[in-house]
Amino acid sequence: MAATALHFHRAAFLSPAHPRDAGAKWPLHHCSPHRIPVARRACFLRAKSLNGRPQIGASFGNTNEVRDGRPAGDGPQKEKGGSTVSITVVGASGDLAKKKIFPALFALFYEDCLPEHFTVFGYARSKMSDEELRNLISTTLTCRIDKRENCGDKMGQFLQRCFYQSGQYNSEEGFAELDRKLKEKEAGKLPNRLFYLSIPPNIFVDVVRSASRTASSSSGWTRFIVEKPFGRDSESSGQLTRSLKKYLAEEQIFRIDHYLGKELVENLSVLRFSNLVFEPLWSRNYIRNVQLIFSEDFGTEGRGGYFDNYGIIRDIMQNHLVQILALFAMETPVSLDAEDIRNEKVKVLRSMRPLKLDDVVVGQYKGHTRAGRSFPGYADDPTVPNGSVTPTFAAAALFIDNARWDGVPFLMKAGKALHTRRAEIRVQFRRVPGNLYRRNIGTDLDKATNELVLRVQPDEAIYLKINNKVPGLGMRLDRSNLNLLYSERYRGEIPDAYERLLLDAIEGERRLFIRSDELDAAWAIFTPVLRELEEKRVAPELYPYGSRGPVGAHYLAANYNVRWGDVNIDDDGSLF
Amino acid sequence: MALSCMRCPAGAAAASAPRAAAVGPAPAAAVSFTRCGFRRSAAAAAGCWRIQAVAPQGVKSPIDADVKNAVSPIAPPNVENGSPSEITLDEFEDLSALSKNDDSTVSITVVGASGDLAKKKIFPALFALYYEDCLPKACQYDSEEHFIDLDKKLKQHEGSRVSNRLFYLSIPPNIFLDVVKCASKSASSVNGWTRVIVEKPFGRDSESSAALTRGLKQYLVEDQIFRIDHYLGKELVENLSVLRFSNLVFEPLWSRQYIRNVQLIFSEDFGTEGRGGYFDSYGIIRDIMQNHLLQILALFAMETPISLEAEDIRNEKVKVLRSMKPLQLEDVVIGQYKSHTKGGTTYPGYTDDKTVPKDSVTPTFAAAALFINNARWDGVPFLMKAGKALHTKRAEIRVQFRHVPGNLYKGSFGTDLDRATNELVIRVQPDEAIYLKINNKIPGLGMRLDRSNLNLHYAARYSKEIPDAYERLLLDAIEGERRLFIRSDELDAAWSLFTPLLKELEEKRIAPELYPYGSRGPVGAHYLAAKYNVRWGDLSAEHYKA
Repeated sequence: MAATALHFHRAAFLSPAHPRDAGAKWPLHHCSPHRIPVARRACFLRAKSLNGRPQIGASFGNTNEVRDGRPAGDGPQKEKGGSTVSITVVGASGDLAKKKIFPALFALFYEDCLPEHFTVFGYARSKMSDEELRNLISTTLTCRIDKRENCGDKMGQFLQRCFYQSGQYNSEEGFAELDRKLKEKEAGKLPNRLFYLSIPPNIFVDVVRSASRTASSSSGWTRFIVEKPFGRDSESSGQLTRSLKKYLAEEQIFRIDHYLGKELVENLSVLRFSNLVFEPLWSRNYIRNVQLIFSEDFGTEGRGGYFDNYGIIRDIMQNHLVQILALFAMETPVSLDAEDIRNEKVKVLRSMRPLKLDDVVVGQYKGHTRAGRSFPGYADDPTVPNGSVTPTFAAAALFIDNARWDGVPFLMKAGKALHTRRAEIRVQFRRVPGNLYRRNIGTDLDKATNELVLRVQPDEAIYLKINNKVPGLGMRLDRSNLNLLYSERYRGEIPDAYERLLLDAIEGERRLFIRSDELDAAWAIFTPVLRELEEKRVAPELYPYGSRGPVGAHYLAANYNVRWGDVNIDDDGSLF
Repeated sequence: MALSCMRCPAGAAAASAPRAAAVGPAPAAAVSFTRCGFRRSAAAAAGCWRIQAVAPQGVKSPIDADVKNAVSPIAPPNVENGSPSEITLDEFEDLSALSKNDDSTVSITVVGASGDLAKKKIFPALFALYYEDCLPKACQYDSEEHFIDLDKKLKQHEGSRVSNRLFYLSIPPNIFLDVVKCASKSASSVNGWTRVIVEKPFGRDSESSAALTRGLKQYLVEDQIFRIDHYLGKELVENLSVLRFSNLVFEPLWSRQYIRNVQLIFSEDFGTEGRGGYFDSYGIIRDIMQNHLLQILALFAMETPISLEAEDIRNEKVKVLRSMKPLQLEDVVIGQYKSHTKGGTTYPGYTDDKTVPKDSVTPTFAAAALFINNARWDGVPFLMKAGKALHTKRAEIRVQFRHVPGNLYKGSFGTDLDRATNELVIRVQPDEAIYLKINNKIPGLGMRLDRSNLNLHYAARYSKEIPDAYERLLLDAIEGERRLFIRSDELDAAWSLFTPLLKELEEKRIAPELYPYGSRGPVGAHYLAAKYNVRWGDLSAEHYKA
């Protein structure tokens, strides 16, 4: 079965390279919010062009059969021979499904990025009619601000393709019933099926077993998107992977890390590899340290039950931040093909030293009253056990022991209930050796170094801090930014990370999904320290809700002669 | 003038002041100029600042006309904003304290006070410096027909203080030597320094330039000669070295390994407008390239100096210039603007200028490719372009980087990888800015790449007015900072690059390619660039849109 899926996947993947498309003019211009309605097929050219694969599609004799787009004309009878995609959201009544997955699917539909023929199914335990599901999700669908026309019509069309099936998560009968309904909707076309598991991790395996056995596509591909947590340490993660692999081949597993779908994370590789001015600087020769910073300005707010079992290190660092780190630090891949990129990421992860307790600072937010308003502490959350030492903040220093990065500290910081909501990558460069202007800089040369900042959210931006002369007769130096503020240059909304990732999964583009060996390598870095923190019940440093986090983070940075770039006065003008 | 005097509330009013009010003998001019500073402190000004106009020996023009020209921009008869009674106590004390301090004094003599440059740049710059408290203690500007008398007058003002004297020669080159001779013999300071600022042209080729230098050196030592190149006083030219040497991210890229070509571009959007007489005997290559653009090139390309000391920097600049190949005729394109009618207005051609000979082949536009034969720059074309009567007024440095070797995203760029390279632009004027063109992904689900700018727009970041180049240079001369002035050996090296070409152009009377007034210049410039596989950055498609 795995072989079948793989075969058809490849065919579908390469289909745009069919000679018929040879003259197509839009190798990369698809689904961009700036394009006015594109030909539907354009969305599917993307993966190919991206990967720059040789155009060998012609050698697949049956590519026509698995074409995702319509051949020519729109008549329903002509679609008979085409293919169809069914997207089943398992756990359809959950928060993520409602807030992210259905809206992302609708956005893709609106942008003409979904195949001509598709079906969306919700699957959950509760009894619900199709109509009730439609009512449920219609409340969260939105049109892009800049594309309101036809929005209502489009929404109606989309909802008409949404259906619901109730059933137990471990019940093969439930999925068999789903399979029956899916077949009905697929109407004899080549069926491709995508399952999105938006469910708690303890039932992952049950669902995968039941669904793969009874609701796999008979002749097209079947793929499963799974969301974190992927276990809670090396062992449990390894076990989960082994279980999944009992039912699925590696190619069928799409482990999503939605940070990898963020615009500026996508742009990171573009910046590095398509600009001559950055790559020569991308090593220990020029880079003094790299900072990966994530902060939320709210706490668990009554939903601490799940979080308490994981903590911020597992929730943010081990996946999102370490993934960005790997993309940042990897060697140049052979190509932009998913496997080539993931090979390089694994190499970086495997070159990293496991994190040591000395290199970690943990914190937990406490209640804080400001301007008459009280913000509850983490332990005040009724769903959090009393005496919890789960970190809601962590800072860590990591090292990559390879030729490029030896000795360069990669500092991570992640926290909830901080003063701001932000995700960014900061690259601090070394100081200028033998700086001619040292007298103008003052005693601490490290304070006048260049810094490249990629702000992932909010307000996507790239800026490079440079030293320049303050205009005037004297010779005063100043740090200014060479700026690219996305909102100023690009009108139109930046698509949500889930849109990109769902589209990638449908297209079989695995670049932004995490392979099993990547996951293993990521866990290997964090598992020892997580264990030690828990065994020793290391008490987190408390910090007030809405503050800049525990001061311990500064001492950790100071250990490595680093200064956090996000708390400098010149960045936001004031200190909390 | 407006630029500098805007700092002085009354100065702004001065611009619109009736011209007639300024007519008068030299001392009146002095008072007027003083008045501009007077806003800050009545007492100090009255006691300490006396400014007079000079009609130097050898200049025959009527003195009252001179005075009128020199003075009118800075003579506000009416005080609109602020009057002596409005000064604060602090300001008063500030200034009176200054006037009491009497250990040394600087006398600045502007020789050729009636000229255009003096009127438009030097006096306003001096005033601006005074207004910003950048000038030492006291300043006198004296008028004399004879330098002995000038000396007497200066002594009178200097009193017992150490006297430092700065002569600014704002005069035609043919009387440089006469003035220097008189000034140095009869009006040199006995106990302080004496410096002479000279403006271009410094000769018209290697020989005449060397003769001039030899002439100057009969009366002055190298340290006393301040050859001004006002482009070196521009803010972003000053900033060039700061960018290179105080940022880690630029210096590693500063070589043939990463830089594909460098472009130095100067354009004016007006022609000679009836003043072509002087220009016609020089042409754009001497007027702009051999000095301004070449100086910027040297600063751009020099090796890291040992320190920021003037001699260390100038040593490095000379090394670059001496490593350069003399310019070849086939690496030059010249042009001359012709008249053009647009929107009902007719703009005259260069030869329509009454002061220009009808058959003149003097270039008003030139483009050139230069090469530096050293380890850092071997093979990198340095393209220069300078022209009058073009579509825009602009001076900028563009650094085009090589394409990314083995670019992973080559599929996204189309066939010409060189069109998607990084480019660093330093815009010297107008609207000072630095930007780096980078490739980034267009937000959205596809993978379309785009060239965007990482920007630093000066006007957006710095609200303060950027000082005029002359202010900086005058202050430097007063302070003895020689970094931005051109040493004799630099000048020699610069001339030796251009002299053979200039001779050949003139001997062969090479006809310039005509281009319409207000156009983008002769297309020949594109072919010259194409020869070295370069594309002018200022005329690329993305700019046409704007």
